[in-house]
Amino acid sequence: MNRNLQLGIHPDADKISVFVEGAATAREQEKMLAHLAECAECRKAVFLIQPHEEPQRVTATPERRWMRRWLVPVGLPAAALACGLIAVLVYIRPHGASKTPQQMASIRPPESARPGTTVAPATSAQADRVAPTGNSEQGTPKSEPERAVPAANSPQAARSNEPRDSFAPNAATAKASQTAGATPSVGGPVASVQTADSSLAQNAINGTAISELPLNGRNVTDLQPLQPADKGAAAQNTLAREKELPGLQIQDASSQAQTLAGISGRITDRSGAAIAGVIVTLSDAGGKMRQTTTGADGSFHLTQLPAGQYGLTATASGFKTSKESIELRPTELAMLQPVLDVGTASEVVEVGAASTETESANVSDQVVAKTHGTRGGSAAPSEQAILATVSHGKRVLSLDDAGNLFLSRNEGKKWKKVKPQWAGKAVGIRLMPPPSDEASVKAKDEAAVANEAAAFLLTTDGGTVWSSKDGAHWHQR
Amino acid sequence: MDIPPANITQTESSAAEERAASLADGIALGMELGPENRLLSEKLGEELWRAAGAELVDVSRAEFAEALDTIGARDNYGLDPEKHTNERQREMFWRALHLEELALARGCALGRESAWRRFLAQYREPLTRAAIDMTGSAALGEELVSAIYSELFGLTEREGRRWSPLLRYSGRGSLMGWLRAVLAQRRVDQYRKIGRETELGEIEPAAAVSEQIEPEKLGDLRVALRMTLSEASAEERFLLSAYYLDQHTLHEMSRVLRVHEATISRKLKRATERLRKQLLGTLKGRGLSRRAAEEALGTDPRDVDINLRKLLQKSAGDPIPDKERQG
Repeated sequence: MNRNLQLGIHPDADKISVFVEGAATAREQEKMLAHLAECAECRKAVFLIQPHEEPQRVTATPERRWMRRWLVPVGLPAAALACGLIAVLVYIRPHGASKTPQQMASIRPPESARPGTTVAPATSAQADRVAPTGNSEQGTPKSEPERAVPAANSPQAARSNEPRDSFAPNAATAKASQTAGATPSVGGPVASVQTADSSLAQNAINGTAISELPLNGRNVTDLQPLQPADKGAAAQNTLAREKELPGLQIQDASSQAQTLAGISGRITDRSGAAIAGVIVTLSDAGGKMRQTTTGADGSFHLTQLPAGQYGLTATASGFKTSKESIELRPTELAMLQPVLDVGTASEVVEVGAASTETESANVSDQVVAKTHGTRGGSAAPSEQAILATVSHGKRVLSLDDAGNLFLSRNEGKKWKKVKPQWAGKAVGIRLMPPPSDEASVKAKDEAAVANEAAAFLLTTDGGTVWSSKDGAHWHQR
Repeated sequence: MDIPPANITQTESSAAEERAASLADGIALGMELGPENRLLSEKLGEELWRAAGAELVDVSRAEFAEALDTIGARDNYGLDPEKHTNERQREMFWRALHLEELALARGCALGRESAWRRFLAQYREPLTRAAIDMTGSAALGEELVSAIYSELFGLTEREGRRWSPLLRYSGRGSLMGWLRAVLAQRRVDQYRKIGRETELGEIEPAAAVSEQIEPEKLGDLRVALRMTLSEASAEERFLLSAYYLDQHTLHEMSRVLRVHEATISRKLKRATERLRKQLLGTLKGRGLSRRAAEEALGTDPRDVDINLRKLLQKSAGDPIPDKERQG
């Protein structure tokens, strides 16, 4: 025992260390505690032996308190807000999404789909482009009153496209153009169209010169105006194919696991003004219904939806009820922009199934959804029908029916009209050297194409050919 | 010899006191162990000697075997003193020891240079840190360590022989733990020598007790408290003392007892409640009405703690003899 301490017998250092390290027997422990209860010195020694841990405690405890105090009231809402922001960004900036999954959205009209129904454009993640539908502008003579709204991958894009819906026409648009007797030029503002639904794409494109090329900003394609021999037959073909169009569906080529989908959109009237308080009802095949009401900006959102076929009804007083069929794929978010006609709610307009006249007002309702991996959805460069579009790298040139040339330096995200430096009306644009044929274009090595000295060629109605390296400055050849 | 450090000073440890302590233990050092207590077989001794690396610190097989036998006999091989041990229990006890550290400590105690070299290389730095940690000052820490070194090196003599406290190291705990315990004890010695009054004065002025509790009630309370505390378990008494007298935190107490703070809190609360209840009962048994007894303790539950502290503090002033505790 240790005699250095105050008078009395105290446990020695060995006993104390054995006790402190938990190596003591139960009896030793009991004896030690009994002694410690009464011996202030030994108690002091026992507590002194403990390694000094104050700095760690000071840092650890407040940290936990800090977490408790801030994580719940601030951290979690902040995380939720961040998630919300990301969701919004995914809505409005689909271009930035991953390119890996190939997805396509389309609208399936009811079985009684009528001629003239336009189809939302197929989007191709590979092509990084959207070849939106839409051709007939009020200003252009058309036999069919349908108005196709270009596909948009975001509500903003859809809205911006709405007033000038003439945009790179795809097959459906081509059909309308043909019917109208206009030059059925085909081509998105960004050239390539690669549909995920090959049958739809092939049927819809129907021999157009749109090359199925992945662009990624490096590919070249030469889009030739479609010159069908029999415009009427072409129109019929297109119409016939439209009946086969699948419903609004978003295909995920990566065949993801089954997860929930959603629908979002904005309801406007014919003037483009948002309609608030529209009752949007979504019913699935089993009859289950989900209902929401549009906000002040006319927008509505329905989320947590299992994939499947849905019917969406938009009802508002003073407007005709709009009905449409939607097929949701897993993980997809469909975006709709229904346009309601003035009328009574009892009047039902079925998108894609109503009469031609009615459809003309509602064809534009279908706006194809964006999904991750889809890019594109740029604003239309012109209100006129697009005659041809060529691209090199990120530069895209688009020529419309009126001979206006538009240049985009960022893959079609922003367009700028090129000041005419040529005499007469531009009637064609292409790349120089022009590919010998489509097949050669398809087969062309991407890198080689990208490295090729780029030059755009423009042909005027006077037969003169102008060339430009950047699409903005032109010189006669 | 470069060891021990040059600044070693002679301690005030008294050889007479150490001898008395050894005798009080019943068994003193290995050298005093009779042949009848040599229970370690040669084979096992050889194996343990090798496992301990005792050769590296110049501890012979015989010396190491003697140490193992001494320690086993002193602690009855980890069993209760009255229990008889068999060979297997003894072997398990020996094998569970910190053999390397035991060999090192024994080598140092025997003054082997290689052992001291290793000891200093291994423990000088941690020992200094621990001393500074305990004293809260580098200067005081260095001073404390120097005093310890002089002790450990065996500058003191016992019955004409050099004696080092390292001989008392059993190997049941870690050598560093033992060193910390030695440091702590010497630190407490310093406290006591420097000024005990200051230490106690810092805890709580005893006069405050009589300010709140009337003198006649205080006497009753003190007796009641002694009786009540005597019925509490050793652990409860330790908890009450550490918490109310020394004002250690639950965390500090949890580290000593190696249980969670919540457990300490629960045990402490239970002990306090029982103590209060029994105090009330004892006071009533001594003729006080319930109201008077509650008043004596302080009716406001928030006051109970502080009153208990004062009572415990006062009670700790005069040690409770075993007889009274048992009664």
